Formats: sequence, C-alpha cells, structure tokens
Amino acid sequence: MNPIQEIKKPEGKFKIKFLPYNVEIDVFKEGENLLRIAMAAGVHINASCGGIGACGKCRVIIKNGLENIKGGKSPKLTKDEIEKGYRLACLTKVYGPIEVEIPKESQIDSSVYEIKKEPEHVLSATKIEHLIPSYKLNPTIFKVYLPLEQPTLDDNLNDVDRIIRTLKKHYNIENVTFDFEVVKKLPTLLRESNWKIVLTVVSVEGRYKVIDVVEGKKGAQNYAFVVDIGTTGVSGELLDLNVCDLLNDGIEEVSIAKGSVLAEHSIYNKQVSYGEDVITRIVYAIKGNGLEILQKAAVDTINEILDKCLEKSKINREDISFMVTAGNTTMTQLFLGVNPKYIREEPYVPTARQFPPVRAHKLGINLKESTYVYTFPNVASYVGGDIVSGVLATGIYQAPEITLFMDIGTNGEIVLGNQDWLVCTSCSAGPAFEGGGIKFGMRATPGAIEQCRINPENFEPMIMTIGGEKPIGICGSGLIEIISEMFKAGIISQNGKFNKDIDSPRIREGETGGYEFVIVWKENSGIGEDITICEADIDNLLRAKGAVFAGCKILLESVGMTFDDVERIIIAGGFGKYINLEKAIKIGLFPEVDLEKFIYVGNSSLMGTRLVAFSKDLMKEADKISNMMTHIELANNMKFMEEFVAACFLPHTDPSLFPKTMEEINKIVDKLKRKTQEVK
Amino acid sequence: MAFAIPKENYAGKVREIVIGKGDKAVKIGGYDSMPLCTFEGTWPNKPVVAMEVYDVAPELNAQGWPPATFEAFKDVINDPGAWAKKCLEYGADLICVQLAGTDPNAQNKSAEEAIEVVKKVKEAVGDIPLIIWGSNNLEKDQEVLPAIMEAFPNENWLFGPAEEGNYKKITASAIGYGHLVAGKSSIDVNLAKQLNILIENLGLSLDKVVMDPTTASLGYGIEYTYSVMERISLAALAQNDDKMQNPFINDLAKEAWKTREAMLTVEEEPTYGEQNTRGILMESITAIDLIAAGSSILIMRNPTAVKVIKELINELYS
Repeated sequence: MNPIQEIKKPEGKFKIKFLPYNVEIDVFKEGENLLRIAMAAGVHINASCGGIGACGKCRVIIKNGLENIKGGKSPKLTKDEIEKGYRLACLTKVYGPIEVEIPKESQIDSSVYEIKKEPEHVLSATKIEHLIPSYKLNPTIFKVYLPLEQPTLDDNLNDVDRIIRTLKKHYNIENVTFDFEVVKKLPTLLRESNWKIVLTVVSVEGRYKVIDVVEGKKGAQNYAFVVDIGTTGVSGELLDLNVCDLLNDGIEEVSIAKGSVLAEHSIYNKQVSYGEDVITRIVYAIKGNGLEILQKAAVDTINEILDKCLEKSKINREDISFMVTAGNTTMTQLFLGVNPKYIREEPYVPTARQFPPVRAHKLGINLKESTYVYTFPNVASYVGGDIVSGVLATGIYQAPEITLFMDIGTNGEIVLGNQDWLVCTSCSAGPAFEGGGIKFGMRATPGAIEQCRINPENFEPMIMTIGGEKPIGICGSGLIEIISEMFKAGIISQNGKFNKDIDSPRIREGETGGYEFVIVWKENSGIGEDITICEADIDNLLRAKGAVFAGCKILLESVGMTFDDVERIIIAGGFGKYINLEKAIKIGLFPEVDLEKFIYVGNSSLMGTRLVAFSKDLMKEADKISNMMTHIELANNMKFMEEFVAACFLPHTDPSLFPKTMEEINKIVDKLKRKTQEVK
Repeated sequence: MAFAIPKENYAGKVREIVIGKGDKAVKIGGYDSMPLCTFEGTWPNKPVVAMEVYDVAPELNAQGWPPATFEAFKDVINDPGAWAKKCLEYGADLICVQLAGTDPNAQNKSAEEAIEVVKKVKEAVGDIPLIIWGSNNLEKDQEVLPAIMEAFPNENWLFGPAEEGNYKKITASAIGYGHLVAGKSSIDVNLAKQLNILIENLGLSLDKVVMDPTTASLGYGIEYTYSVMERISLAALAQNDDKMQNPFINDLAKEAWKTREAMLTVEEEPTYGEQNTRGILMESITAIDLIAAGSSILIMRNPTAVKVIKELINELYS
C-alpha cells in the first residue's frame, strides 16, 4: 500500500476526545501511547521525564472508555485518584474510543494555548517496498548442495570436473571456475563427506566461481552481512539468504520482507574520534600511519556490529558467505585502506568508481576466508556508494515521477531526476542531524528526545523519548522539533539567537558563556545533569539545514527547475523513527510544498545493501545508476555560498519561498513587537 | 532611425529616509534607478556628506591623522562644538559624532562623557541633524548609544553601527526615543537582509533604517563593498525585495586615512609622491567609488576631499 495515500485519507480506527478543549483525533493503531496521541492532537500535557512515568506530571482523567485503556496506573497517583479515573498519560495505552480530560495541574495556561484542530504530519519510516522496483531473487553468492556420484574405474573423471559435470546436470550451471583454495581441499573433503558437499558459488555475468566447499546436506545455511558505513553512524544487518534455495525450482519474485533481517545493530563510527567530517578524516589519513589507524577503526566498528548481530541472531559466523557495504567515497576508501588523499584535492578524483570485490578477512573483518565484500559503486568524490544504494532502494531511477531524494547525514547528498535522467550533488551538512556537534546530541537510540512541544506562555516542554526511557540526549528529529518550538515560542529569533529578555529559569546563561535553554531538569534526566540546548547547537543545526536546502536549490536551478516541479520528495537519513514534516519545513530544512509529496524512508543506504545481497540483477542496476548520475560540483559553485548564507535563517532569508510559514512567523513577530512596545 | 538608449525598467524603489527634523532635516534615498543611471529613473535626493567630529582629540600623525587632515582642524581639535561648526563651513551636510574614545581598548570614555560631547556639538550646530557613530565595540556601543538616545529623545538622529550582536538594545532604544538605526552587516547580501528583517521584527519601521554593508578603502578591498552594494541595489530595484530597499551609509574616512598610502611620509616612501595630495586622493577616490556603488551618506574627514566630492555630486546629480 502506498504510504502517501495512507497519509492522505486515513480511516480512523477510533476517536479520542480531549477535554476541556473538545479536540478530537483519529487513532489508527491499537495500543498507541496516550501522550503521543496528545502530542499529535496538539494538546499540551506537562511531561518532562520522556515517558517512563517518573515525573508524574502527565496526569489525565479518563472520563469515558476506561475499558479501552491499559496501564497508566502509578504510585504517583493515590488510590482515590485512580478510582476517579486518573492515569499517567505516558503509561497509558489506548485500544478504543475514550474521552480524556486534562486536569488543571497538567495543563498550562490552557486559556492562551492555541489548540491545533488538525493532527500534524508525522512521517515514520515504515514500508517502502512499493518504491522498490520488482526484481528476481537471485543472490550473487549462493550455496548449492551437491551429491556427487562416486568415481569408479569406468567413471574415473577427476574431482573438479566431476563437480562441474554435476553442477551442469543438477542446476544447469556452466562456465564454472574454482578458487585454488577450494581445489586444495577437495581430495580429502570429498571422500570424508561421502561425496555430499555444499558449494559456495559466486555468479558474475553468467560465469560462476566456486569459492568455498564444505561437507554438507540439503538446506545449507546461507547468510549475508550488510553494512552502511556512515561518516558518523554505522549500521549493519544480518540477512537470511536461505530463502534462496532456488536454482532448480525456478526463480520466484519476492519482496524484501523484514523477516529476512535476522538482526540489526547500529553504533557510532569509531573514526569519529579522528575527526567529525570526511575532510578531517582525509587529513588524518594522509599523515603517518593515519590511513592504517582509520582503516582499523572502521573495521573495529564493523566487527563490533557483526558480533552484536551474531549474538542477537544466534547464527554461525561461518555461515555468512557474503558481505555488502555502502558508504560515501571517503568512507569506502578508508574501509578498503585505499589512500583517500586525492578526494580532497582539486580536481577531486576518487580512485575507482567500482572497487573490485575483496576478501573480507583480508580487511580485518572477522569472517571466514572465502567471504567476499562487495562495495557499492560511487559517482564522484563526494557522491558515494551510499547514495547509489539509496537511489537503488527507493527505485527513483525507474519511476517516471520527478523525484528529489535527500539523504541527510553528515554529508547531505541530494539526487534529482527520474527514469530518464539523474543529477546529484553533495554538501557538507555536519553531523548535527545525527546528534553530532550538539552538546547533548545523540543517535536515535532509546532515551533520545525525539518529540517536543514547548508551551509558548511559560516555556514548559512536553517531551517524548525513543523507547519511552528517561531522557539522556537529543536525536536529529528531536533537535528539529525543539528548535522549531523554541522559535515558535519566541525563545529564539529568526537568526537562531536567544531572546535574552525572557524571564524564565529555563533560559539562562550557560557555563561556557552564551545562552541555553533547559529542556529537561536534572531530576528528570537519565544523565544526572540538565539537558540543554545552546546557541552553538542552534548555529550548527542552522548551518546543517542551510547547506542541505542550498544544495537542493542549486541542484534544481542547474536543471532549470523549482521545488514546484518536483513530484515527490524522498527523505532518507538517520534522524530517528519519526520526522515531523511541518516542523522541518518551519525551520526551512525542507521546502514548503504539498506535504503529501514527502516520503520518509529512514536509512535507504542500508536498504540498498540488503537488496544487492539478494539479487545480482540489482547489483547490475547499482552499476547502471552510478554511471547514469550526473554530478554537479558545489565546491567551485559561487552561487552555493550565497544560497547557503541565505538559508542560514529561520526559515530563510527569502520569505517568498515559505509563504505559509511566514504568515505564522509574522504572527509570532507581531506578538513579540507588542511585548517590546509594552516594555518601552 | 534615431538612437534610443536601452533602458532598464526597475520594479522597486528605495525608501526615502528623513534624518533630523524641521527645515534642516536631511532626506536620503527615494531613488528608483541604479546609481548614476538617472536616465532610467530618478534620484530625488543626492548623496550627502557627513563630516566627522571626534569625541577625543586625535594627535598629529596618530593613525589616520597625517598633517593633511590634522592641520585642517588643529585649532578646534579639542573642542567638538567648534570642530562641528568648522565642518559646516567646509560644506558638511550633516555632522557625524565619532565616539572612538568610548572604546574600552582606547580611552574607555563613559556614556555620560559621550553625552557631553554630543551636547556640545548640538549646541554648536543647532538643528543640523547628527549621526552618532559608536566605537565598533559591540558591548560598549549597546550601552553608550541607547544612553545618548535617551538624553536627546525624538531628535530623529541616525545611530550606528547596530550589528547582529547588539542590534536588539540599540533598536529597542531607537523605537522608544524616536531615532534611526544604521544596521551594519559583514559584507554579504543575505546577512544585510537578515539584519534588516531582525531589526524590523523588533518593531522599528524600515523607514527608520539605513544599511552599512561594511566599508573598505580603495586598495584594501573596496571591490567587495562595491559588489555587495551593487547586488543589494539590484535586489531592491530589479527584484523589488522590500527588505533590501534601504539607502546606504559608508563609514569611509577611517578606512581611507589609516592606509599606508595616506600615512607614509615622502621620506619613508619616496616613490609614493607628495603625502598630502596622496591622502586626500585616497579619501576622495574611495568616496567616488562608493558614490558609484550607490552610497547615500558618506562619512568623510578631510575638507579638500569633501570639497571635491561635493562638487562631483552636484555635477553627477544635477
């Protein structure tokens, strides 16, 4: 089902009504958290612990439909209160229609709080199967079970040719060659295994190479390990290729079901301590044995993810026969240990578009000797395999619609085009969206604040964390929400600077000078100190969003288009599970276009690696994509710097790009003007 | 067929700004063509010259004060009132009180002392409008400028520079005490626009705002100033961007007179030629370039340079 339509006309499963505001909202998911529902409905309830029931502030009264909820009881509520229907919203799960009253103590100045009647557009990264082009399940590396006939005096063919003959007979496979290591094993293994073996075979362009042989029986285990090597974050998945016992049974079409992913894990790239962006990493790599250190850091990161995935899935390391990675050009070269020096120097040339497959263990990956790594082909020095992988996963190279694809990581990579043409560019956004360079920034993992509302009258925040745990930091999507809300509440101006006249304990001068806003007091935080956001954090985010927006604008201009010509906007990146479109538009990260044009796909690069592990046809497609993309270089583009400065403003220096947002801003500004006048 | 000059049609018009009040009020802006292109539109108000009066007497041959400039004022150098009067004799349209002495890194004069200086100048020049220019120290300017605004309410004088780091206090006082603000941004089209938006957001009408795009001297980056002013003007006129339609002020004398070309004596640099003429040319040519870039207020120092520029303006815009 198309998620665009899901957003367009959702059929509510049941309604929830909030009193005294009389706001009704449709809920589509049974068991949804009541605090999250309130947030979506625009109803403000005090909540400062992130949703674990510790602060006891989000008290609500269930007026009707007590039978439709579960949970919500807490020692923070007296017996008497519970009987009266009091619950903690953050602990309450809703299964049917209810009426909820927000008692006085949980609302803040309800008289002045503006209630939005429409629920906000929050996109979650869910199914993107509809985007993926159909393909044949046909992995590059597969295993075959082969029962051989024992040699006799009449049939005294040698071992290798015997295998070739049997492969032809059983699977109609021709053009087979052998890795020498395999041949060496054969004489003993064939006889000890009683002529029943499992071969691991690589297939490229109609040719086959046997890379491993073990004693075996039918139904051999075949797994792949795929990794997205980001500058800041690295994510890996362990895939079950066993669905691919298919060579004889004909080839079936499948969709990449989540079920094929046995385990996933994601951590910060261990290279981060040697520099936050690709440029500083390259600088590090070309000094002394820097390249070696960075290569090892990448491998250590991947090995840690691999270990975690093996632990979670409980499969054997030896059964992993294939590995796929996607990363930007620098990350790819650092991982492979190829000197990245010339990526940074004019005229910015990478070493290869497609690096040949290499044995994983040679790079230091703890996988058996016969396991190869396939790295995604790149386009240019600053448009790498991760973006090719994303384009593959989202299928924009096969769709007729003009699509703008934005992969927002430390490097913002942008692709524009459709089935006939693709242009791309990349701009350095910095790690802010992945929580880097932000005082209390973190990856989108449990405990990260991902949603936030700020009461414009008394600046009390309402927050939700990933996993409903005690807040320990802020992830990318949380940062977008917080800054948008701070702006809306008049805490910061259009240039992201604090309004120092506000009298609130939450707005204060930080220890390192400069102002900061306290989102969570230390009593409620999971780190024993206040969680704050300071001017430098806001600057970082402004620059990050400015770079991405400017990049989009230049890319569109380079083909004579505007945002209005774009039919779909696909957002990828590691913000978190949700991204609040309206807030992202309000800060000027995304253009102000029809909300229904947006699709959020999460980590599309990882998705692409998964596809390639399953299908060698798609591997060919990846190659085609990397060849067909035209790269627009921003490094020597005079206009980029100008667009960048113009975009480092909330939402933008050119108000005509954000007419609706400006209407709202003008209201906020008018309110502030009145306040300034009153002071005088 | 007769030759017709190809003309550009501009969609926008720059705001007309009034500084001071009554008969002596000075009007700037209000133009709807690029500078010097009066065949395409009108410049109802010519660029004006504001001459400097310093709060602390400079010394001969101190930075920016070679003989060419010092000699012209040496009789009045300790008396801001007399200095200001002399400027009017030299043809100044307005007086710019330079509060360089308030800089904590200089004499660190207090706001009260600055008020005294302004008072003397005002008594000497009567209704001639004043420009009050701070020391470019963000913290000190936001303390001194508002204090002067409060001491002389509703005079409709121009106060600057207000920068991103201190525009809030300066603008809020200008609203409260009836003055104008010169917003200074660092040599970037978008930053200039952003500052205008921020100032307007505080509630000061853009009819009370002049733009200082950051001025560089001839030979020291004037081409950047020129380019930014030209692009702001194009945005204001050709693209009708209403957040950019404000006239320019250029604080040029300080820049022109501190250059090596103005300061070095013939003995120190024989190949440069006679020192006095050299300094005057540095200031004059910097001013001419800025007129060509679209300046409306030129803050100047040397009487000879002022004479040259006033004649030039009259010729160009008559």
